[in-house]
Amino acid sequence: MTGTTTPAPAAATAAKAPRARRRVPVRTPHRAVRPGARRGGPLAALPWALPAFAFVGVLLVYPFFRSVYGSFFEDNGFTSSYTGIDNYTRLADDPIFGRSLLNTLMWVTGTLLLPVLLGLLIAVATHRTRFGGVARLVIVLPFAISTAATAVLWNFMLTSDGAVNQFLRSVGLDSGAQTWLLEWPQNTLALIVASTWQATGINVVLFAIGLRAIPRDTVEAAQLDGASGWRMFWYITLPQLRAVTVVVVGMAVVNSLKAFDMIWILTKGGPSRSSETLALTMYREAFRLFHVGYGSAIALVLTVIVVASSWAYLRHQMPDTGWAKA
Amino acid sequence: MGRVVRHLFVAGCVALWLVPLYLLVVNALTPSTAYEGRPDWTFQGFAFVDNASTAWTEAGIGDSFQASLLYSVVCGTVAVLVAAMAAFAVVVLPIPRPAFWFWLIYSGTLFPLQIFLAPLFGLYADANLYDTRLGLMLVYVAWAIPFAFFLIRNQMTTMPPELTEAALIDGASFGRIFWRIHVPLMRAGLGVAFLFQFTAVWNDLLLGITLSRSADVQPVMAALTTLNNAYSSAGPPVILAGALIVSAPTLLLFLVFRGLFLRGITASAR
Repeated sequence: MTGTTTPAPAAATAAKAPRARRRVPVRTPHRAVRPGARRGGPLAALPWALPAFAFVGVLLVYPFFRSVYGSFFEDNGFTSSYTGIDNYTRLADDPIFGRSLLNTLMWVTGTLLLPVLLGLLIAVATHRTRFGGVARLVIVLPFAISTAATAVLWNFMLTSDGAVNQFLRSVGLDSGAQTWLLEWPQNTLALIVASTWQATGINVVLFAIGLRAIPRDTVEAAQLDGASGWRMFWYITLPQLRAVTVVVVGMAVVNSLKAFDMIWILTKGGPSRSSETLALTMYREAFRLFHVGYGSAIALVLTVIVVASSWAYLRHQMPDTGWAKA
Repeated sequence: MGRVVRHLFVAGCVALWLVPLYLLVVNALTPSTAYEGRPDWTFQGFAFVDNASTAWTEAGIGDSFQASLLYSVVCGTVAVLVAAMAAFAVVVLPIPRPAFWFWLIYSGTLFPLQIFLAPLFGLYADANLYDTRLGLMLVYVAWAIPFAFFLIRNQMTTMPPELTEAALIDGASFGRIFWRIHVPLMRAGLGVAFLFQFTAVWNDLLLGITLSRSADVQPVMAALTTLNNAYSSAGPPVILAGALIVSAPTLLLFLVFRGLFLRGITASAR
């Protein structure tokens, strides 16, 4: 994130040099207009940024700080009183919050293991095969139908006399037929599987793009050295996919922490709040039970986890150290 | 991986992915009167139009569909425009502290929606925006701006500054430079941002169920959820037909603009 405030003359000369493609999200803008040079000085640019600032400031940044502030109050929607860090100490004793944290952890683990691993395997298996493109298209289709529609569909399949149980009984696995959504932990696991069905496709696409970017020379050199099959995958393909993997894993973690639609539609966090994750617990506390302050405290915990994990992860993974060190 | 194992694995995955889609289509076609309480694995009839019209009119998906179309198109467009202007300010113009502005606007994508919900609800109740189309549109625009800004800004940094310099020497105003040079040259990038934000707004559930209630204001995903909760009364064929209806726009966009979508995905992954 350095260099964004580089003085304009330096940026102008730098822009003459051939531009390298970088992966860092924030790139040095090559400022065409020198500050204060003409047209009303530096403030002339402000009107261009103001609409965005107004929207984001009023409807996102202000609510964020208001939410942090509100988490120190006991607030039922009508009356509120300052209670300091009470909401946070309550979290520690709340069994619902503990279960919710555990479920969130299961979601993070599950969405790392299933969609990321499956995505990688499918991308590698379909790479440069004749029907690979078709296979990838089929697997990415659920990405194009919404999470809500996916959830409705899986609800239909997972109910007690739904398609999954029907199938299991028809192949003689009667004991495998379960009340998938009615008991913990299989409800959370079933939700993760449903989410995998939707989320894997996008990972396949990203990994496929990464695979296509591997230079042919690298592969050929490795082949000359006698690498093939598993060794090729482990020592050549995987390290070359590192940049994509970082992004895929990062997205999987953040999205699983934020997961709401799937759980809300399939189980509403139930039965008896057993499949809630932090995202659900916050919604139920704040908008169903009117514990607004307590809900805000949960939202803040969730936010801290999301921001901290993405920050720590990217900081750890982005510097160009070797894969092995990561 | 051996060739055979590899092909078997892919075939297995494709089958696993196709079965739910197949069930979705087959059961959405079953006449709701013929549904016997258990999923059909073969075609039982072709009553999709009946099921869809039940979902559309009686279950209220129709009103929400129109509302969501309005939200997605208008909010997507406005957000992309506002984000492009902000990107123009941060990348091209001499704004002080561009990094600060970048993080201020981009920060909106980092946080989970939950952290905004309770104050937004209060704000909306006070401002009489709760359960209004205008209210939802405002928050969708605000919510769509950060990521659109990120995509557009990344693309704008690749444009040669000489273009702007030349235009300035010719005496063009900032407005002219933006509309005549940046917007036309960035059509593809703006298109990607619009597709993404259209899809995001279309797929939203959480903001919809928090900030609205009536059928003609609620976005379409919220309406689908309501329909799903009425499982026993509406019957699975109607619900699945509803799911197909609400998926149609994004599915269509995805199939038509697959290339642009993929560009957006790779751009966001960089």
